[in-house]
Amino acid sequence: MIKSKVSRLSIVFLSILFLSGCWDIKDINNRSLPLVLGISKENGQEYKLTLQIPIPKSDNQISRTVTEKGKTVTNALGHIQTNSENAIDYSQVQLIVIQKNLAKNQQEFRDLIKFLMGSEDIPSRALVAITDDNVENVLSNINNKLGVNASAIYDYFNKGTAWAPELFSTPIWEVYRSQFLSTKDIAVPAVRAGKDTVLVFEGSTILRQGQFIETIGPKDSQMINVFNNKDVKGYTENLGFASIMVTNSSIQSKIKMNNNKPYVTSDLRLKIHILERKQGITNKKIYEKIERLTERRFYNLLKKTQHSQSDIFGFGQQFQHVISYHDLKDWRYKYYPDLKVDFKVHANLE
Amino acid sequence: MTHRIQVGMLFIIMHLSFSYLIYPDLIYRLTKTSHWEVILCQGLMQLILLWIYYKGLNYFPDKNVIEIYLKIGKWAAIIFLTPYVINLIAIVGFNLRLHAEVINDVFLPRTPYWSILILLFFISVYTAIKGLDTILRSSVIIFFIVIPLIFFNIFSSFTNFDLHSVSPVWDSPLKFLFNIKYFYLMGFSSFLILGFISSGANSNFCQIFAVFVSVVLFSLSAVYIPLFIFGQETVTTLAYPFLEAINSVDISWFIFNRQTMVFGISLVGLVILANAVLLWMSGHIMQKTYKWKTMEAAYWIILLSVIAFVVALVVPHQSLVEKFFLWSTGAQTYFMIIIPSFIFLYGSLSKGGLVGYDKK
Repeated sequence: MIKSKVSRLSIVFLSILFLSGCWDIKDINNRSLPLVLGISKENGQEYKLTLQIPIPKSDNQISRTVTEKGKTVTNALGHIQTNSENAIDYSQVQLIVIQKNLAKNQQEFRDLIKFLMGSEDIPSRALVAITDDNVENVLSNINNKLGVNASAIYDYFNKGTAWAPELFSTPIWEVYRSQFLSTKDIAVPAVRAGKDTVLVFEGSTILRQGQFIETIGPKDSQMINVFNNKDVKGYTENLGFASIMVTNSSIQSKIKMNNNKPYVTSDLRLKIHILERKQGITNKKIYEKIERLTERRFYNLLKKTQHSQSDIFGFGQQFQHVISYHDLKDWRYKYYPDLKVDFKVHANLE
Repeated sequence: MTHRIQVGMLFIIMHLSFSYLIYPDLIYRLTKTSHWEVILCQGLMQLILLWIYYKGLNYFPDKNVIEIYLKIGKWAAIIFLTPYVINLIAIVGFNLRLHAEVINDVFLPRTPYWSILILLFFISVYTAIKGLDTILRSSVIIFFIVIPLIFFNIFSSFTNFDLHSVSPVWDSPLKFLFNIKYFYLMGFSSFLILGFISSGANSNFCQIFAVFVSVVLFSLSAVYIPLFIFGQETVTTLAYPFLEAINSVDISWFIFNRQTMVFGISLVGLVILANAVLLWMSGHIMQKTYKWKTMEAAYWIILLSVIAFVVALVVPHQSLVEKFFLWSTGAQTYFMIIIPSFIFLYGSLSKGGLVGYDKK
């Protein structure tokens, strides 16, 4: 009896020792939680890291930016840790803004993404954006705007469906994945610091296996969203004589091989809502116009991307069953430039 | 009946604890296209072994593996079971170290791994000492905590699925069968436990089969979730593909925003119970085989677990841990082949001899 009492007591004491769960733990008020991480390169040599850290203590939710330089990203992160007043906890980083001059060097960019993916501190769900601007400007821009919340940059990308259909977001893991995929390339949103708003959406940057290819406008990015079956509800289009809003879209594709050349038939069904129209314009004319406009936009983009050999629509993914695994590795260079797409749009009133 | 259900739950838990960390990685390295072939092939071969084991045990009703070996002679038990105990200890040590490192990664980045190791060991050993009934009862609790979490992880990962990442083609030449990694892969099972629980062997083979099918389904999900999210080329570059797959899920409106936490917690539950069972088995074997008066099963368990702890502690780095773990599962494959076939042969021979004797 005594023995069991002693053992029970000792278990209780042991659990006090072990279950406290505090090992070098820092309370949340002793931590700085950066929301946005900006990465750029100075003079093509040193990495420059900028953090946007909200200061939760004050009522009007201001934030500050911290900048450090270093030979590598880890190096710069280490400098920030050393010089900051609090422990910096990267687990809440929501957005990573990368300056374009860094993205232009393929190997460096790949290494950077690999580092961000492998880092235990930075979550792989954080979104990536590319900017032409000075990263510091983009991040500190938030402080000059009146009544803007400290989490504004994150909120910008998370407005929810149908609020800003042109905008899209790309997490780190998708960028990382695209470096290894041979049948699909990726678009990363391109932003710059705005004059009146914190950020301005400029379209998207196409990356082919971590290599910067080109920047396309918001309307073209919209085509990519359509092909990736993302919700484009709420998208508005001005046709000159009328304005419409897309309320629903669905795309269906069929694939086949013709003489060892890939062939795709895609049907896009758009449900539209007519917002305004000039007098005497019939529904039919509006349908025709929107159909022609969308098709032309698609073919232009297809031609452009076929020229740069970057399969931004992910057509190659659909050929997984038709072309063997080893042949697909050359999809971009061997098959994609010869790809024929028969793209038809069918617009209809809701 | 309830006992059988508990055994079934324990069986599932033990297999799950093996199937999340190294298992997907092995499969990705074995084949590039049709992963399901490997999994089903492995399942089928394990099932055949399991059937032989079951048949063999049925020759000796109400006897467990140790008693069968002792029936042949003490020398047989020592020769066959002592290496198996060593193997079990190695598995316990490396498995716990592996999980400690992952838990470190997931939610305790600043804690040294040995402190997590102590915690895991302490609970496993305590459960093992308490005996089989405690293990079975706790398996029910762990089952009902972990299985919903795992289902939650599976369903939440659907949001990131890209169905085109996987090609379901039939890749006819079974090249992987001759790869040494396939041999390691076979060891990712612990059906031998059934022979050490007397009621485990008594259950109907249909029930065992049903449980086994669910285990194979879980293995399929563990392999295919990362594959659907990342695709084959990316998955081979990741250290823990399943962990990264869960990490990529972002459900910002949901209260459990970090799915990795959920996964980490379920891993803790699984690994503690699985290792408690392995420790209990090895303690049990040693006590029955050697029959030293002063050594009760509990002392054996403590002694063996201390050895396992030291083994786990001294391995210098993670890649070595993985290598050693694979070696120990390879050794387990060996025992998974030897023990069932030996029992089957012995059973059929002795029974056949007995019948022949009666006829005369």
